Amino acid sequence: MADSPEEIRKKTKTYLAVGSVLFIGTVLTVMVATQEWLDFGGHGFDAYDCIVGLCIASVKASLVAAIFMHLNHEKKAIYWIFFGSFVFVFFLAWLLKLAHDSPIFDQFFYR
Amino acid sequence: MEIPFVVTPRKDTGLTNSKIAIWLFLASEVMLFGGFFSAYVYLRVGSADPVGGYPWPERALPILPGLINTFILIASSVTVVFAWAALKLRQWGKFQAFMGFTVLCAVIFLGLKGIEYNVKFHHQALRTVDGAVIEGHLGYEKKEGVDAHAEAKEEDYVLNHHGKKIEENRINVQATGLTFSTVRFHKDWVEEILTEAGHHHSKITLASDLKLALKPGAAEETVLPAGTELSTEVLAKVADLHLKARANNADVRTEALRKAWDIAHETYPSKRDWQIAEKVSIDPKELEGKLMTEAPNLAFKVDPPAKLTFGPRDVKAGPTQSRLRDDTAIDGTLLESPMVFHAVDALDFRFLAMKAIQKGLDPMAEVEKSWVLANSPELREIWEWHKGEIAKLEERLKQDYEMKGKPKREPTFTERYRVEWKDFAAKAEGKPRTEREGVIKLKEQFMGPNYDDRAAAHTFPELSVPRDQVAFDSKFTPAWNPFYAIYFTITGLHGLHVIGGALVLGYYLFRGKKMYLSNPEWLANRVEVGGLFWHFVDLVWIFLFPLLYLM
Repeated sequence: MADSPEEIRKKTKTYLAVGSVLFIGTVLTVMVATQEWLDFGGHGFDAYDCIVGLCIASVKASLVAAIFMHLNHEKKAIYWIFFGSFVFVFFLAWLLKLAHDSPIFDQFFYR
Repeated sequence: MEIPFVVTPRKDTGLTNSKIAIWLFLASEVMLFGGFFSAYVYLRVGSADPVGGYPWPERALPILPGLINTFILIASSVTVVFAWAALKLRQWGKFQAFMGFTVLCAVIFLGLKGIEYNVKFHHQALRTVDGAVIEGHLGYEKKEGVDAHAEAKEEDYVLNHHGKKIEENRINVQATGLTFSTVRFHKDWVEEILTEAGHHHSKITLASDLKLALKPGAAEETVLPAGTELSTEVLAKVADLHLKARANNADVRTEALRKAWDIAHETYPSKRDWQIAEKVSIDPKELEGKLMTEAPNLAFKVDPPAKLTFGPRDVKAGPTQSRLRDDTAIDGTLLESPMVFHAVDALDFRFLAMKAIQKGLDPMAEVEKSWVLANSPELREIWEWHKGEIAKLEERLKQDYEMKGKPKREPTFTERYRVEWKDFAAKAEGKPRTEREGVIKLKEQFMGPNYDDRAAAHTFPELSVPRDQVAFDSKFTPAWNPFYAIYFTITGLHGLHVIGGALVLGYYLFRGKKMYLSNPEWLANRVEVGGLFWHFVDLVWIFLFPLLYLM
């Protein structure tokens, strides 16, 4: 990357801002999980709070990937390599689901 | 050799070599961690299984160390890009400062993780036969004649042959005899048996003369006289002789069998092997004068009979004879072998309640009937206090939620059936359950309860559990349940990545000056690539923290 000094100085400000957002996001996640007044499901800690917590985590992860790892302006080849790997992850997870739902295993688990 | 495309990008991709390489590596990492995250999801979903399931331990880990570690990783992610920016601006001093901070963060992260692991490895869990779970710390075996309940001094404890105290979770046998497998005996256990026998001034000696034919067909001679004292050297020596004899005998038998087949082939030339196999057998005369004596086992007597103790997982105990995993047979009566908790710091009836609900029984009634509440007045008192506090919570929730018009919130399963060490502490300090966070000292947030500090208040009761009540016991290791299995797997793998990242970044920090002076842009590219890996490590942790610590 042929970044000029001005651009880099500008970038460091962005990095600092993203860092603060990450800190705030972390505190928010802990509060969603522990504080009663931030209770989403209305029944204490439950699936709703899980989903909210994981959504915050996803936003944080996207920020790290987009800004810190420069994925917001990257070459095409890298998008193919990186996001291509997720296809395999979901495929493998789906295979696990097949195994999980398979009636073959019932004979071991449901005696 | 000149390495191409380290500073100038390739024309076709527009990328430097190292950048392509690190992204390929990160792609493989995504698949690796993706596999473990999938495993986590299925383990968690599977924990609700009506038969093999168990209550997933939500928020079983202390939040504060995890939270601090998250902050540390985020901060280091920021400083690593700052370090890269400083290099781009050719500010070596700033680069050193930022990179130094990043590496320091990695070290602190690993330190906290180490404390967390260590606490787990020393924390005992036990599931009783009825399904109640008791957590705490075991006591240590004391010497005979020492008052079990008095304040013990260091010299009152029994030490094993490594010079360490022995936890009171042993299978005790009043041993009269021991028979070792000469080839399979485990050296460490033999040493331990000798040490324990020594504590009881008991001698372990060979029960009868060991007579062996040391050469093919030779007369048997006494190799070891009766009364020879047990040692690993003696066993190793006999093992040697046994293996030699076995090798010789195997050769002799093979030879004899070959001969028998030759004869059979001559006798029945038109038959196939499988048709004559039944008729082929070794002629005993062929073996005469060629065999040596094998000594697969060696019997010793313990005189006077002594109490020997064994790890619960190492021994299959029987009323008159027990057997170790290395095939050592122990003659002698099984003694009482309780598991003794020096401090019980949590009671967990979630598993018991879950099973009761599945059977259509009233979970609360089943809890009341549990062995632990029936046999420990102190724990019964804590349970009664806990029930009172939950009743108060129920009342408060009713008011809070009705006032605000929200749907009613019930106490959760965990709130109802698990009594944590913070509850124990709150009760001992006479505070309500809601103020239990206030009774924890800062150090205890990381290390767990301090038993010495709280001993005076009798916060954590003692408990002796007879062996027949023990269904499963383990430290908080991967063996305890699938949650800890996946927790140690993922965080361990992540920790290895932190170590790897710190080494690479540390290398740039301490050995990068030369490259900075000759080709600063190349170093900047390297730092960028190392930084990409570091961000990925942070990215994984961003998901790990909520999944393992908060949910």
